[in-house]
Amino acid sequence: MISDTNIRDYLAQLEDIPGTRVFTAARARQGYHLNQFAMSLMKSENRERWKADERAYLEDWQLSEEQKAAVLARDYNTLLDLGGNIYFLSKIFSTDGLSFVQAVSTMTGVSVEEYQAMMNAGGRSPDGLRSKREGR
Amino acid sequence: MARITAGIASSHVPLLGVAHDQGKDRDDYFGPIFAGYDWTREWEKSEKPDVIILVYNDHASAFDMKVIPTFAIGCGDHYKPADEGWGPRQVPDVFGHADLAWHIAQSLILDEFDMTIINEMDVDHGLTVPLTMMFGAVDAWPCKVVPLAVNVVTYPPPSGNRCWSLGEAIARAVASFPEDLNVQVWGTGGMSHQLQGPRAGLINRQWDNLFLDGLIGESDHLRRIPHIEYLRETGSEGIEMVMWLIMRGALGKRTLALHRHYHVPCSNTAIGHLVLRPDNGQELDMTISGASVAALTE
Repeated sequence: MISDTNIRDYLAQLEDIPGTRVFTAARARQGYHLNQFAMSLMKSENRERWKADERAYLEDWQLSEEQKAAVLARDYNTLLDLGGNIYFLSKIFSTDGLSFVQAVSTMTGVSVEEYQAMMNAGGRSPDGLRSKREGR
Repeated sequence: MARITAGIASSHVPLLGVAHDQGKDRDDYFGPIFAGYDWTREWEKSEKPDVIILVYNDHASAFDMKVIPTFAIGCGDHYKPADEGWGPRQVPDVFGHADLAWHIAQSLILDEFDMTIINEMDVDHGLTVPLTMMFGAVDAWPCKVVPLAVNVVTYPPPSGNRCWSLGEAIARAVASFPEDLNVQVWGTGGMSHQLQGPRAGLINRQWDNLFLDGLIGESDHLRRIPHIEYLRETGSEGIEMVMWLIMRGALGKRTLALHRHYHVPCSNTAIGHLVLRPDNGQELDMTISGASVAALTE
């Protein structure tokens, strides 16, 4: 080992980044069924069933009511809070025909056009967004 | 004897595969990205590698949340492109080198790296996009591929130091394989990007270029970067860059840059690409003669 990493300090740091939900074990456990549901949309027959009746499809999965509502609303920030991981959630927005830029922009509070303009101008600066605690 | 003759680093943004497959790779948006790979495509035609050890991460394609291997090596003969939600990419199937892969897997386990062995899986854009970037549109990939999948999705992923050490162990394993094989190691993913939350779209050009600098030459300081620095400086998905350190670790003490490319943006991501020659006692040409001018500047 290169350093004696203390797991409590390590995990606390991961929560110190503004506007970011790191996919920790706690989130992975909370979102297990949510992510597995999203994963099921990898199969075309499941996508067809999902598109035909989203609410009925969700009944087959052990999701909380909060998770179900956020899935139906495509509220990706809330889905991250409820244990979703973006690579799994991408199966939902891919099924909707959305690109990563289109779906990701919905989490940032600006329109997709404004988001794309920001990316074309070099992306979002990390200045002021590195640490909540240190405000840098 | 098998020998490692080069290392390549490259982003593996899925949109690059889409752009290529739809013939948009020379348009105004994608042209500057793909142009940075032209040198490498020509160079690969003369290098003629037999096998690529391709370090990448699966993006909820072959692996779901049921099983999360930290390091997994593909020991099969044949892998199909994955259906990632919009049908599989229309690219050639990937053929493994099972003899070399099993040799590496056994050697790594005896070297105290507890690998997961994969016999069957589909491979997603993390693996097929780099092949497209380096080889273009082909009827068959010109070499065999040993997939090496790393968990960089569920925390904690392996440390940068562990990745570098794994690369060193891969180099030892390759050197003890009796067949005469020209082997390249590719590290993929990165560079700065964040695909989630209000901070999405983060790009850190300065940090990315310092990271590229650090892969060149003798220093091994990159292996000591903690996870939190990748996250703070390069976005939540920038952590993929630890996979580049497996490639760098496999190249030995010193490297020479042959080609370098950096571009912002591609979708939500900064594109980085580096071709390295290892000074690893294999008597490779370590003069700058083969390098592209772009290797010398950002």
